[in-house]
Amino acid sequence: MNILLTGASRGVGLEICKVLLEKGNTVYAISRSHTSELAELEITYKGKLFFKSIDLANTEGVYQTVFKEFVTNSIPLHGFVNNAAHAYDDIITNLNLSKLEEMYRTNVFSPLILVKYAIRNMIFNKTKGSIVHISSISAHTGYKGLAMYASSKGALEAFSKNTAREWGALGIRSNVVVPGFMETAMSATLSEDQKNRIYNRTSMKEATDVLSVAKTVAFLLSGDASSITGQNVHVDNGTI
Amino acid sequence: MEEKILKIINNVRENNQLAPLLKLDESDDLRNDIGLNSFDLAELTVCIEDEFDIDIFENGLVNTVGEIYKKLAE
Ligand SMILES: NC(=O)c1ccc[n+]([C@@H]2O[C@H](COP(=O)([O-])OP(=O)(O)OC[C@H]3O[C@@H](n4cnc5c(N)ncnc54)[C@H](OP(=O)(O)O)[C@@H]3O)[C@@H](O)[C@H]2O)c1
Repeated sequence: MNILLTGASRGVGLEICKVLLEKGNTVYAISRSHTSELAELEITYKGKLFFKSIDLANTEGVYQTVFKEFVTNSIPLHGFVNNAAHAYDDIITNLNLSKLEEMYRTNVFSPLILVKYAIRNMIFNKTKGSIVHISSISAHTGYKGLAMYASSKGALEAFSKNTAREWGALGIRSNVVVPGFMETAMSATLSEDQKNRIYNRTSMKEATDVLSVAKTVAFLLSGDASSITGQNVHVDNGTI
Repeated sequence: MEEKILKIINNVRENNQLAPLLKLDESDDLRNDIGLNSFDLAELTVCIEDEFDIDIFENGLVNTVGEIYKKLAE
């Protein structure tokens, strides 16, 4: 399968990239930076991993850079993983419009444009593609400082459900993976104390395993999930 | 260009087991005369864009064959 994946340079995206390559997929990976981990994967999986540096905060450029210069109609797309995101974290009374807009361009507007053209590619190639968005537990359980960020994830969840309804008749599926807090760069600014308090809210009392998230994404992309669409799958150590 | 559009429309019609058309009239309505539904129109747009690099639905609706020609001539 040919999979378009955003935010592949590190963290969850890098793990998803590894899992997809191990399963024999071809991955078209996007992020701003090209890391040594990605370079290693390119060597190990020669001809199966393609990378393009793209800044998703530039929504106007996404169609040209992604679908004209990278994943053209000649590459039948079987999956799209919307993983890249930026966490603008602050309390609401400090909300800054330009920071909010920049986050929405990266987390919401560009992903929606990517879905538009991913579906067009699937229509052109008549592939029953699968779309997976990465949300966050913060859209379901409140945390101080995450209201703006969580709202961008809520937008994706609503978009995914409606995508599923709109395109299901063509066999195109859309699902969301909702991870709990993980040990990645995104959560690195939290203190140990803050992290422990967050983990104590989960049933399993620890950080969500990045590999478990990545494998869930791979499952939803695969034919094994052919009857699953319009769902939010929580991979959050039981944040209930 | 008109021949290519005819070919693309016939390909889309084939999905719905509709017989190929021999010719198109500019006044033909894509839904009512040609029998395309919204999924077919999406496929039509995607195929036209692939061929001509123009998104006919980008700025507002297109209803007739003549309107497609006009968009492509712009
Ligand atoms: N970490 C957590 O605790 C947690 C919890 C729940 C959900 N999530 C979600 O999980 C997903 C992955 O997050 P992570 O933890 O792996 O975060 P991360 O380590 O910060 O990685 C984010 C990825 O997105 C890319 N990215 C960010 N801004 C971009 C832009 N403007 N253009 C292109 N790429 C951009 C980054 O690459 P470059 O910097 O190279 O561009 C990087 O590859 C995100 O959707 C996040 O919201 C994370």
